[in-house]
Amino acid sequence: MSKTLFIALLLLICPLSSQASEQPTRIVSINLCTDQLLLLLADPSQITSISYLALEPTSSFMAEQAQQYQINHAKAEELLTLKPDLILANEYSDRALIALLEKLGYQVERFPLPFSIEGIQRNIARMAQLLGQEPRGEELINQMNQRLDNIAQQRPATPPKALFYQPNSYTSGSNTLQDTALHLAGWRNLAAEVGIEGYSAIDIEALLLAEPEQLFTSPYAPGSRSLAQHQLSHPALKRVTAGRAMIEVDYKFWICGGPMIADAVEQLHRSLPR
Amino acid sequence: MRQTRALTQKQLTGGLSLVLAALFLLSLFIGSNPIPLFQAARDTLLDTPSVIALIFSEVRLPRALIALFTGATLGLCGAAMQGLLRNPLASPGLIGSASGAALGAVCMLYFGIGTMLPMALPIGGMAGALMATLLVYLLAGRDAGTLTLILAGVAINAMALALISLLLNLAPSPYAVREIVLWMMGSIANHSMDDFQIMLPGILLGWFLLIGTGRSLDALTLGEETATTMGISLPRLRWRIFLAIALAVGSAISITGSIGFIGLVVPHLLRPLVDHQPSRLLLTSAIGGGILLLAADICVRLFPAGTDIKVGVLTSLVGAPFFLYLIIKSRRFVL
Repeated sequence: MSKTLFIALLLLICPLSSQASEQPTRIVSINLCTDQLLLLLADPSQITSISYLALEPTSSFMAEQAQQYQINHAKAEELLTLKPDLILANEYSDRALIALLEKLGYQVERFPLPFSIEGIQRNIARMAQLLGQEPRGEELINQMNQRLDNIAQQRPATPPKALFYQPNSYTSGSNTLQDTALHLAGWRNLAAEVGIEGYSAIDIEALLLAEPEQLFTSPYAPGSRSLAQHQLSHPALKRVTAGRAMIEVDYKFWICGGPMIADAVEQLHRSLPR
Repeated sequence: MRQTRALTQKQLTGGLSLVLAALFLLSLFIGSNPIPLFQAARDTLLDTPSVIALIFSEVRLPRALIALFTGATLGLCGAAMQGLLRNPLASPGLIGSASGAALGAVCMLYFGIGTMLPMALPIGGMAGALMATLLVYLLAGRDAGTLTLILAGVAINAMALALISLLLNLAPSPYAVREIVLWMMGSIANHSMDDFQIMLPGILLGWFLLIGTGRSLDALTLGEETATTMGISLPRLRWRIFLAIALAVGSAISITGSIGFIGLVVPHLLRPLVDHQPSRLLLTSAIGGGILLLAADICVRLFPAGTDIKVGVLTSLVGAPFFLYLIIKSRRFVL
């Protein structure tokens, strides 16, 4: 009798205890994009190490919060000494390194780079589940959706024409975060309209013929100089937008898709002509 | 007899100028999108704010002008250098002036000096070109044979290119490393009227200095001593031409990057047509250089969009085999 009671008790406890042990406590992230989601969602006690890029203020949205953690440079030996129970990586992380880590029996989770709001939501939800922080994930998604919805209600009836222009005449066509954000903020994305898919160069004549009303750029290395960056000061660019200067949107909003997209959308929305 | 020759010279410059004008117009017509050119030109002249006027005046016109002036500078300086050094292989590209200019411009552009002062770029180019040219001249010695001069040029070129690579690797901009090829091969795409205005003063000054050196160069074909007895001060001539080359080549290359072989090939192709007279070769080579670079730039644009081929790649593809041919020819002479 006491034996069956014991077993019944065990059965009751087991799922609970196994759930508790599922919450990883020595998490190592080797990529800026997973660093940021980790910092947003995890308990500080769960985080063992994040990548060195998380500290760079131009790339990392979470540079300040990142300062209290040990950093890594995504090198195998360095990672093993950290004794991680979960390693977070990006779909573009070094394949050889990840194959090695998996061979050694570590759990490695790779996250895709999102190009849409749905993709960002999926990444947040998956990260929250891995960390055992589902409520925080839901809250983060709801907050982001709320901010985007607010802006959606104030979108202009006829969206003005905009275009992202980067050094080396790169632009963001369809299936990019910039395209998504421009539309959410109430702009048209001319690059997508002239048939550019993903990130690609746009010829300056094609750009001028499309007659953008506003140009945006996301400086990757502000303050440095090169011929590629010099192209952004071509006088024709300012003249085609009727003298409006190019607006800078921080690179850290896009380098990884995340809830910070709402900041970018809000800034783009504020830039709409009144 | 003299009458017909003078006529030939006029016919030659006239004919070449016509080709140059035709290519300049053609260059304005060719772009990634067809635009009604005459309407665009009219809009530009009447100051009508239209997009086609903007494409015409801010994209196509500066490109054609930069090709014209850079090509002419390289052709002219090649002819002057070959006349001065009495060496068929002398040219801004081979004896280091061009890579020196690129090095000077790189120093200015990537380390923040270029933004403080727009003219810093051509000034850097001029200083670099002058230093490289003088270094080669000092290394090779005054009466250098072809081989010595070329070797000195190779050494200085290698040095300048290595320093360009080093500086671009050290530059704070993440885009700098990829631009090594741009400085080594040269490109005239994506420039604006501002860039043209920046390069123009140095180029015109250099051309101006070269006007009137033709007679001295003619005299020099008879040998240095004969030239001296004819009242020509060789050191002054040398300085004048080196300075002119530094001003013109330095300014042009600081905007376009080092475009190879035009200064070598053009004077060679045209020399038989002017009876091997350096004075007549100067103007002819300037026009020829403009023709060659405009033609090369038109060819580059005829490749399908997205294949970003640098114009210097094309001039080198034409020029390098020609250089080999010259070497083989000069070897036959020696043997």
